[in-house]
Amino acid sequence: MPNIEKRLRNGDSELDGEVVLRADEISKTYESVLPFVGRTVEVLEGAGVEIEAGEIVGIVGENGAGKSTLMQILVGALGADEGAVAVDGAVGWCPQEPLLYDRLTVRETFRLFGTAYGMDDGEIAEARDHYADLLGFEQFLDYRVDHLSGGNRQKINLSVALMHDPDVLLLDEPYTGFDWETYLAFWNLTEELTEQGTAIAIISHFVSERERFDRIVELADGVLTDVTDREPEASNGRGSGVAASEDGSTPGVNAGD
Amino acid sequence: MTDVGRADRISVGVGAAVRAFLREPIQVAVLLALPLVVIEGYGYAMTAFPEFPFMEMNAETMGRLNGAIYAAAFLSGVMGLFQVISAVQADERLQLCGYSRAELFVTRLATVLAASLIVAAVSLAVLLWRVDVAVPTVVFLALTAAALVYGLLGMLVGAVLPRALEGSLVLVFLVDADDFLSSGMVEIDTRLVELFPLYHPHQVFQSAVDGSIATGDALVTGAYILCLLGVVAAVYVRVTGNGGVLRG
Repeated sequence: MPNIEKRLRNGDSELDGEVVLRADEISKTYESVLPFVGRTVEVLEGAGVEIEAGEIVGIVGENGAGKSTLMQILVGALGADEGAVAVDGAVGWCPQEPLLYDRLTVRETFRLFGTAYGMDDGEIAEARDHYADLLGFEQFLDYRVDHLSGGNRQKINLSVALMHDPDVLLLDEPYTGFDWETYLAFWNLTEELTEQGTAIAIISHFVSERERFDRIVELADGVLTDVTDREPEASNGRGSGVAASEDGSTPGVNAGD
Repeated sequence: MTDVGRADRISVGVGAAVRAFLREPIQVAVLLALPLVVIEGYGYAMTAFPEFPFMEMNAETMGRLNGAIYAAAFLSGVMGLFQVISAVQADERLQLCGYSRAELFVTRLATVLAASLIVAAVSLAVLLWRVDVAVPTVVFLALTAAALVYGLLGMLVGAVLPRALEGSLVLVFLVDADDFLSSGMVEIDTRLVELFPLYHPHQVFQSAVDGSIATGDALVTGAYILCLLGVVAAVYVRVTGNGGVLRG
């Protein structure tokens, strides 16, 4: 299932070398059109990031910092007020909340999204069986999505982002609800993908296993700052950042399952 | 990656949308049961009214006929509304993955059409049980037309006002007023009524019950549906999603 389709979106310049995604000076403000029901919020103020092929980048930030807004702009689900996003290749997007059709079965979900990606039936079946085996949901292929547990829904959500073998993978809190084995399988998968040249960006409140990332950038006050070399700090209760987990557990992962 | 054609995407999309619709048993049960309740309820309610000189049939029968049009139009309208708003975020993801907005519109339209056929068939069955109908085939087509008109209007409301409560309220009042004023139950001396969505389907429906087919109204109904289809498709495509940026 070779992904040979390449593109450049909103970019007025070619991407350099190994760079497969570049966001320049992204600004986004949410404004209420109705009086008394909201306030103007400047979420992004000139945020920029580059991701190279085969690189895995962590994007951290406090609750409400604008991480999901940034991700939606990078995938094209949301327009930026200013700035440009250039992408070389196909993109896989795993949104924070599973955006799936509740009343379709898992098998039908793969068929629908695979068809959207332009895959034929054989390619869809191959991808579906591969990720079902890898993430452990073979027994649920004929279950409706709304009959799955939160963790299994998240596995389908992630698999839909991966099934067309994208060049750039943008994951928003992808392992929320995963059990420990699936969490480890997820990281093994990211290693395989980066070895093949896939660029991966992962949004998380915490980056508790910083050795898994090539770079870590923090979104704060509307801009992205490279904090890869910053010393890990004990969790300060603010719910974000490059934190060292005191008990060794990974936030969002169900260790007991 | 294989280049899957538009026909394949539409076929898979329509199949998924119809399956999702049929897998909600309460939704299907409501579509099957409510026409009976509405038609009989309207008929019973009208028995309280006296026979007015301008009424061409007894009040109970007139109530049942108006109930049939109302049931077909309102239920289909609500289906159209919820087809657009119920999975709006998943639809957005599907568009980012490669479905065009036009293809997605066709899949939603197919489900609305299926719902329209169901409510029209059930409404006709109830009418055949309770009322003498001269030309059932044309009555069925008129009910389907009324359902389709409001199915499209439901999609339009869903596109511009994507909120369940507010959209449903708009449809309730719109269909109610339209059905009442288009029915001829009260004589209104204005050509404005002829522009109402249900006016011409109502004329076709009424004539088919009597045995005289209002061909002119049938043609206007067809043209009305085509124009409405164009408007709703344009609005839907204009206001929903960005389309096809993930596929590359």
